[in-house]
Amino acid sequence: MRIIDAHTHPVFMHDGATPAAARRLVAHGRAHGIVKMVALGDVLVHGRLPSAAQCRRINDETAQLKRWHPDYFIGFCCLNPTLGARAVEREVERCVTQHGFRGIKLEISNNARDACMGAVMAAARRWNLIVLQHTWSQTNIHQRRFHSDPADTAWLARRHPDVSVIMAHLTGCGYRGVLEAKGLPNLFVDTSGAFPEAEILDFAVQELGAERILYGSDLPIRETSVTVGRVLGAHLTAAQRHLILHDNAAKLFRL
Amino acid sequence: MLIDANVALGPWPFAPLPERTAPQLVAYLKSHGVNRALVSHLGAIFLPEPMPANRALFAAVRRTPTLLPVPVINPALATWREHLAACIAAAPIRAVKIIPAYHNYSLRLPALAPFVAAVNAAGLRLIVATRLEDERHRYHALAVKGLPVAQLAAFLARFPATHFVCSGLYKPEIETLAATHENFSADIAFAEWLNTLALLTQKIPARRLLLGTNTPLFDTRAQVDKLRLARLPAKTLALIGSANAARLFGL
Ligand SMILES: [Zn+2]
Repeated sequence: MRIIDAHTHPVFMHDGATPAAARRLVAHGRAHGIVKMVALGDVLVHGRLPSAAQCRRINDETAQLKRWHPDYFIGFCCLNPTLGARAVEREVERCVTQHGFRGIKLEISNNARDACMGAVMAAARRWNLIVLQHTWSQTNIHQRRFHSDPADTAWLARRHPDVSVIMAHLTGCGYRGVLEAKGLPNLFVDTSGAFPEAEILDFAVQELGAERILYGSDLPIRETSVTVGRVLGAHLTAAQRHLILHDNAAKLFRL
Repeated sequence: MLIDANVALGPWPFAPLPERTAPQLVAYLKSHGVNRALVSHLGAIFLPEPMPANRALFAAVRRTPTLLPVPVINPALATWREHLAACIAAAPIRAVKIIPAYHNYSLRLPALAPFVAAVNAAGLRLIVATRLEDERHRYHALAVKGLPVAQLAAFLARFPATHFVCSGLYKPEIETLAATHENFSADIAFAEWLNTLALLTQKIPARRLLLGTNTPLFDTRAQVDKLRLARLPAKTLALIGSANAARLFGL
């Protein structure tokens, strides 16, 4: 079983930034069949509104992981879109040209519908990058001013049909979130988020098709055996499992 | 050989979960390596009094001896003594469960003193269920949140001679309680982090942890794999997987 994990934080709240910790994580991943990880960076270490310098430090850590394990980690560039178009363009260009990053990671600096996302999506288009947007149902959280609901991330994907968008956290998006993602071929959902709630992955496959779903763990917040186990525990065909665990990500990231 | 300390029968109103008969549940759990399970009825959470659901539970598992019924008692109801007695008369039970967050009382409830005494006198283990779901994902019109850990700490301090089983605690909650209280064991249904059990067992002895999957709300395979694939000595895995439950529930 070969797995690509589309959602990881190898460095989390400063933990994991040493060569030994990175080696341990790669060994851990390989023991669970994970052949590559998308490293999204230590995205909340400086709070939800990192400065340009803090974004650079987070992305430099991801680049360091990539240098230590170039065949294992795929880098995504962490941004704070509210810093404005110049800052976004400069950091994306730096991460792509100097570090070979393949995507952009957006956390909770702003809502996916905000005007500042224009520059982010333009940069994604220019450099052919995947955009992974942290997403969680705001039904019970009430932070929509800066926290994207599935409806907001779906809006972003609908507005930019030529950019591939990953709506992070299937479980956090919930059943309503799966329905928001329907009919958008450029929108993918990762399987991460919260505990392994039964049946929701089955529902997502039924409503969206296995081609639109990517395995993601959100480690170290979650346990790899659990996040893989929930895919193995769902009522899927072997072909659907392969798509979710590996093939969709391999195609999307052009591996 | 695994014993699952956190399984339910019956309908959950807020998600399209499979509703299994007792024999179907036995076969399903067995397909994931679980040979015995402590089972409650989800109806006991939502009905005005839990006995119809407890009776449905006893009837359902009568012919499936590997499913051990755990009735739910609401000690905030005037008739909890009768309910407890009726459950003891109805089936050979080893434990009863309370679900304060859903039954709208706090663990400071005065009736809990005679209730805990009665449960102890009957030779039963008391399971305190702190949550059944991630509260961020609860039905929009529900206000139920997990039991505050400070309440549980005060409760454990109030009954130092009784050893409780707590289900549904998050990993940091288990660690916080374990630092100050020895009179509880916890299931691992809601404990999760990278290398969960290796980290948890640094904070609480393995003899106080129990496999609990929260089936059918959570994916059973995923929950069992948290234990099965943990990098721990086989002896530790055996404690968490079955030996502790066997000891705590007299199985
Ligand atoms: Zn994440």
